[in-house]
Amino acid sequence: MALEFDRSILGQVFDETDFPPVEKTDLLQFADALGETNPLYTDEDAAMHGPYGGLVAAPTYVTRLRPKKMTPEHMPRFGKVGFDGGRDVEIFAPVRPGDRLKMVSTIHDIYEKTGRSGSMYFIVLRNEITNQDGQKVAIVDHRIMQR
Amino acid sequence: MKTLYFEEVEEGDELPPIDLLLTKDFVRKYAKTAGMDFPRFTDDEGARQEGLPGMIAPGVLSMGLLARLIGEWNQAAQITRIGTTFRSPVLPDCAIHLLGFVTQKDTERHTAECDIWMENDDGERWVIGTATVLLPTRNS
Amino acid sequence: MARVIDLHLHSEASDDSRAPVEAYLKWLARKRDERPLDGIVLTEHRQFDTQSDYRALEDKYGMLILKASEVETEYGHVLVYGVNDAMLQRFDFSNVRLRAQELIDEVARMGGVAMPCHPGRPTIGLIEHYENRPPLEGVVGVEALNGGSKKGENERVAELIDTYGYHAFGGSDAHLVSFVGICATEFEKDITNTEELVEALRAGGYRPVDFRVRRAPAQPASSGT
Repeated sequence: MALEFDRSILGQVFDETDFPPVEKTDLLQFADALGETNPLYTDEDAAMHGPYGGLVAAPTYVTRLRPKKMTPEHMPRFGKVGFDGGRDVEIFAPVRPGDRLKMVSTIHDIYEKTGRSGSMYFIVLRNEITNQDGQKVAIVDHRIMQR
Repeated sequence: MKTLYFEEVEEGDELPPIDLLLTKDFVRKYAKTAGMDFPRFTDDEGARQEGLPGMIAPGVLSMGLLARLIGEWNQAAQITRIGTTFRSPVLPDCAIHLLGFVTQKDTERHTAECDIWMENDDGERWVIGTATVLLPTRNS
Repeated sequence: MARVIDLHLHSEASDDSRAPVEAYLKWLARKRDERPLDGIVLTEHRQFDTQSDYRALEDKYGMLILKASEVETEYGHVLVYGVNDAMLQRFDFSNVRLRAQELIDEVARMGGVAMPCHPGRPTIGLIEHYENRPPLEGVVGVEALNGGSKKGENERVAELIDTYGYHAFGGSDAHLVSFVGICATEFEKDITNTEELVEALRAGGYRPVDFRVRRAPAQPASSGT
């Protein structure tokens, strides 16, 4: 018994956000906030001699990029409360200082199941991130639970 | 920091655990840095008004810490995919343990699959996930 | 032949697991001393896998591999063993609001057995629903030991079993490779196929077994970092 909703909303772009150039300090602060010790993310000099030839962002940096519109205007509502159910991140290229990142957001999937807190609806929002060279940087799938 | 090549990594290897006290200040600092400066991540009273037992850590913070677990095991492991399920709210001011294992190796792609999770002192797994890492090889 | 079987786990066929069946088997082979299992039962969420044939893997790893389902009812989640075509025609396994009583009765009539899992868990466990609804008829056993439980959830089940005389079994509820077999069920008789599993689950003569090795809680070195 499939959940009933207007399936045409799947895949439609609801937000496009261009971010200001990535600052080196953004990357260093983000790594510090996680307690990162990997010199590739924390030490410019050491990173210079590493596989990327320079400082790069800690892997989950892409999860901190927030689109202008977090959710579509016509976000389906299946419940009163929303929770963060999880993230799936695919990483294709590192984020470097000076990168101008662009994010395109769509509703990727909607489904239903029951969990510890009752009947739950999952809305998967997909953020596709590219850089100034048009190179694919990451895909972040955000599973939002509603109940 | 250690560099492990594909040839040195075995299925069944344990990622060296990270045990840390997740303080409220640490959570607040992450929330501010990541632009998630919302009451549920910064303030007990504000979180209670949202129906939570107290301030919680953002899911992406847990995910970031699990990515760090991989980097501290092997700084040359390049994460190409990481997926996490937030099974329970992560309430700060308690000890948390970041744990993981290498579960599968792909000899053609030179990748490894890892199980990664966060548990508390009672062994409750609050966040579980997996990651795919690309590893350097001795030959290249 | 199998005596110790993990009766509850999810492979990559479930939406919330990425674990290949063979990775589970390799992990069990590696952990043989710690988790001496003879078999596993794949209980994918809200579906039954009619396609996969695991005979080659059974031979390669010397393990019994059976298939079942975990479905969702108004009394919480229920494991269905002995799934057949008649059941799949009678019930839409993807429906998250199956009627538990109907499921238990019909599955039994059609040659299977439906057994509630993680009964101590909020909302998706039996115990909470027994507080507001009449007890179900025809329940023969419940999953008394679940490897994914939080503190207190397994402990709550003892009273339920005492009150209703249910048989008790165990399963890992693994979604990750490395958790396969942390909890399982030991049978008094050997099981070689689904029919024998269903018969044994109905008859009794089994108990949950706990193979979890608790890591001594390490003290955090410092706050945050």
